[in-house]
Amino acid sequence: MMKAGVQNKLYYLLPVLSVLTLMIVWVILAAQDGSLIPTPYETLSRFLGIMANPISQATLPLHVWVSLRRVLLAFVAAILLGVSLGVMFGWNETFNSFIYPIFELLRPIPPIAWIPLVILWFGIGEFPKIFIVFIGSFMPIVLNTHSGITSIDPLLIKAGQALGANRTQLLFHVALPATIPAILAGIKTALSSGWMCVIAAEMIVAKQGVGFLIVRGQESGDTALIVTCMLVIGIVNAMISFTLTRLEGVLCPWQFGKTK
Amino acid sequence: MKNVDQKKIRSLFLSIVGLIIFFGFWEFAVRTGLVSGRSLSAPSDVVQTFIAKLTQSKPDGATVWQHFLTSFQLALSGFTLAVIIGVPLGLFMGYFKGMDLFMTPIFEIVRPIPPIAWIPIVILVLGIDMRAKMFIIFVSAFVPCVINSYLGIKLTSKTLINVARTFGASNWQIFTKVCIPSSLNMVFAGVRTSLGASWSTLVAAEMLASTRGLGYMIQMGRQLIRPDIIIVGMLTIGCTGAFLAYLLGLLEKKVAPWRYK
Amino acid sequence: MAVWENKIELRDVSKTFYTKQSDVEVLKDDSLNVRENEFLVLLGPGQCGKTVLLNIIAGLEQESGGSITFTGGRPKMGDLGIVFQKYALYPWKTVMSNVEMGPQMKGIDQSTRRKNAQKYIDLVGLTNFEKSYPQQLSGGMKQRVGIARAYATESDIMLMDEPFGALDAQTRYSMQEEILKIWEKRKRTVIFVTNNLEEAVYLGDRIILLGGKPTSVKKEYVPDIPRPRKYTDTAFLALRNEIADNTDLSL
Repeated sequence: MMKAGVQNKLYYLLPVLSVLTLMIVWVILAAQDGSLIPTPYETLSRFLGIMANPISQATLPLHVWVSLRRVLLAFVAAILLGVSLGVMFGWNETFNSFIYPIFELLRPIPPIAWIPLVILWFGIGEFPKIFIVFIGSFMPIVLNTHSGITSIDPLLIKAGQALGANRTQLLFHVALPATIPAILAGIKTALSSGWMCVIAAEMIVAKQGVGFLIVRGQESGDTALIVTCMLVIGIVNAMISFTLTRLEGVLCPWQFGKTK
Repeated sequence: MKNVDQKKIRSLFLSIVGLIIFFGFWEFAVRTGLVSGRSLSAPSDVVQTFIAKLTQSKPDGATVWQHFLTSFQLALSGFTLAVIIGVPLGLFMGYFKGMDLFMTPIFEIVRPIPPIAWIPIVILVLGIDMRAKMFIIFVSAFVPCVINSYLGIKLTSKTLINVARTFGASNWQIFTKVCIPSSLNMVFAGVRTSLGASWSTLVAAEMLASTRGLGYMIQMGRQLIRPDIIIVGMLTIGCTGAFLAYLLGLLEKKVAPWRYK
Repeated sequence: MAVWENKIELRDVSKTFYTKQSDVEVLKDDSLNVRENEFLVLLGPGQCGKTVLLNIIAGLEQESGGSITFTGGRPKMGDLGIVFQKYALYPWKTVMSNVEMGPQMKGIDQSTRRKNAQKYIDLVGLTNFEKSYPQQLSGGMKQRVGIARAYATESDIMLMDEPFGALDAQTRYSMQEEILKIWEKRKRTVIFVTNNLEEAVYLGDRIILLGGKPTSVKKEYVPDIPRPRKYTDTAFLALRNEIADNTDLSL
């Protein structure tokens, strides 16, 4: 058994060691003869390059913005329609029996699998990409909202009934506030999923955006560009998750035991 | 008793009516030209094409069955590999601090990058053969397995662990006899997510670089302007995904029955 | 002794639950009277359907047989005050919002219902906690909010379903004193459900012992002991033991 002091020092060392190992493995892979993998240095300079020099009339920040904008537009629609649908599924038994099977039929189809059909329908403009993101974010929101509504503590509903609330009042005063944490969880999943969908859609057909950029890199063998894009995509993804978690803490303070 | 049964029958009836209206309207819309035959195929056409494609290789180079097998084999092998490596890794990371501290940073860097983003570089480096696609599927399936197994261990009730300690259980025994069973719920949630991820990543990979497989099939459907082929592909993809999830559910009931009462 | 008016009469009330496996008869031929402004205690072991009986009185569940009559007609939903064992407070609402919710559902305007709610928040001793959220309060305080909320409905009848069951012993004792004080200040008809023998003897004007499978009324006790009662009093202990002996019958 190591002494506590030594053990602690080791614990600080390990994360550093792991990142170092990652870098070393990367450099080794890149340094192989004829390897297509770019070195960290090459990646960094390519990153700086694309920050300044545009491809397809846009520099990297603009491409990121183009992708994000598509996600955000689709997202607003997905939240409005998704929450409404999820609430209706969970609150109204008749509606649920009637419409849910159709939803269940379409649900297992991965959003990416919709791309060919959507392109056939809407061509290769902005709308098809936004529509794909919509499909990808819509599903998790509906599912989470539905799940949230159906798992409300029945005692809270009972108490509301005892206080004289009618069905509509129960929906707005009890059910919806109680479901907000679940809706937010759905939104988190949906945003991540939406981001992936936009990349996928852009990889298949686009003139701008991060997905387009990564395919450009592939077509021109510009691996440094590909890796740059991969890292950028990852960073944006992480930032989205982070922001949403913060938002969750603000909107649902009672969930996290915040005291005044 | 009567009330409960009556409700169920009514539910079922409404569901069937809903589906009939849905398919009926769809068929009607295409047949009457409300929606162009180039954009959408009627359900009856889709069924016809499906049956035809069971044996015909035209026009995209393989039968539905061949496409399906290609996709299925690939997805399953990538998935299985990810589970075999990912779940134990996650479990160990959750329990042994050293491992956690070492692996987590690497993990946190790789995790936010969506599997699809790996496709271009993997294709360039490994080509478009089986190995490349398996690697991508592995990456996408790997992450949820690790995360959920890790969380499962972390969420083990401290009370349960302390009880085991009072019985004189060793560190390893606590790990295998308390933490792992307790985390099975989360492990299965991770495996389920993994399955979904493998399946949809596979479709993406096939759409971008393949000459066989369901993803390739729907791409071809678009190029040939055959919405019926696209829909056959989409539905096959959807049904397979649902079926696999169902099988996984059965397995879960077998392995961790205490979770279901 | 004053002449008591019957507020609620239950005659041969029974309740059967239909499940996939079997039909479960929970209540059978329960008959009892509830008198106006009395503190009635329903005592019974756990899982014996006391909550079901209370729900039926409240109108949250339908009886399978028998009748319940209220003098002055059955109160509508919202005209009954109910206190739950698990508090059932809305975590996203402040204390004030929770307490004023009953009148709010009835459409009473904000200033009136605020004044009303404040009255009851003061009554239960939670002045200055109006803006707090439930998870910032202790168990006893949470239940006091529950009581204030039930009182704020201004109903004549208060139903309390093992309200102190989730509290620790110390808080439980002080809450028992509290509830009597509150009741003395504003007299209502109270039906109080509990499985705790001492609590029943401490609180009740009358104690109705429930038991058996299916549950029915076993016996009725009238503690002829002046309040405030003491747990260690001879008369108290005598009654307590008498009920305890009879409770064996109901298991």
